[in-house]
Amino acid sequence: MTAREEPAYTVEQTQIIRKRQAARARVMGVALVGLCILFFLITIVKVGGAN
Amino acid sequence: MTTATRDIILPAEWRDFWALTKPRVMSLVVFTALCGLLAAPGHIHPVIGFTAILCLAVGAGACGALNQYFEADIDAKMARTSGRPLPAGRMNRQSALHFGIALAAFAVGIMGVAVNWLSAGLLAFSIFFYAIVYTIWLKPNTPQNIVIGGAAGAFPPMIGWAAVTGDVTLLPVILFAIIFLWTPPHFWALALFMKTDYGAAGIPMLPNVKGQKVTRNQIFGYSFPMAATAMLPFALAETGWVYGLAAIVLNIVFLALAFRVWRNDATDAAAMKPEKQLFAFSILYLFLLFALFALDRMLIL
Repeated sequence: MTAREEPAYTVEQTQIIRKRQAARARVMGVALVGLCILFFLITIVKVGGAN
Repeated sequence: MTTATRDIILPAEWRDFWALTKPRVMSLVVFTALCGLLAAPGHIHPVIGFTAILCLAVGAGACGALNQYFEADIDAKMARTSGRPLPAGRMNRQSALHFGIALAAFAVGIMGVAVNWLSAGLLAFSIFFYAIVYTIWLKPNTPQNIVIGGAAGAFPPMIGWAAVTGDVTLLPVILFAIIFLWTPPHFWALALFMKTDYGAAGIPMLPNVKGQKVTRNQIFGYSFPMAATAMLPFALAETGWVYGLAAIVLNIVFLALAFRVWRNDATDAAAMKPEKQLFAFSILYLFLLFALFALDRMLIL
């Protein structure tokens, strides 16, 4: 990770980047959990022949 | 594009990705698709129905993202759109393109696997039609852009219907035709009082190319086949009186407002109250018409 070339950000910019990355990771996490639940339910419906 | 757009250094916020999907447009797509789904004969498991609507919403989001990717330069020239993530320099264009393609692939793939491949095919075609045919080809080249391009926005209720039945019959085609014929008066009313904005961006909207009088004639002219098509479900005995009465009242108000637009000869946006009223009412018209259509169909099915 540290070997990657990155522009020199200021401390404030780095804080903003970390904050945005954390927020995006949280949203992705929620979306993935939601998709896991949805795919599980679709599988149950399809396997059960309820559709 | 501004210098800020090229020199972007910070990663985009998730809110900017959300804005890229045009959530307000998405809400109308979801709503009309849901009405098509609820009005269709037959049964769909709630989980599969939810998945179909989710895929439609994601597909609409893909259209919004791809549209903003292709139109970033045009958006930067219009006051109404200059604050969007790309022209405002809060996101780079590649991210928008990748996001749009990923959403489209997800929506079509899941629709096909979980619901059926007819609705997935219709969804894929509507995304292609909006992002490529309308955005790249029609919009910058012809004043008839929103007439032909209106087809893209007319697909959702048909897709909702196809998700339940697996086929497309006359009624979903009528729903398609209602939105298709509603689009010109709706958009041209907006284009009249946003003429300067569209002109600055170089988009050949009808008022800029053919003038305001021709546009007002077209708005009034399109309102009649739209109103007649809206009466068809009732005339063909596919709905009851709830929808029939609602369609009559809504059509009368729409035609009255279109008549006021036709009579108006204002050239200044500030004096275009009838156009602004028609634009605002046209949104309410479509919401109420489809809501009562779905309600009526649920009562008689």
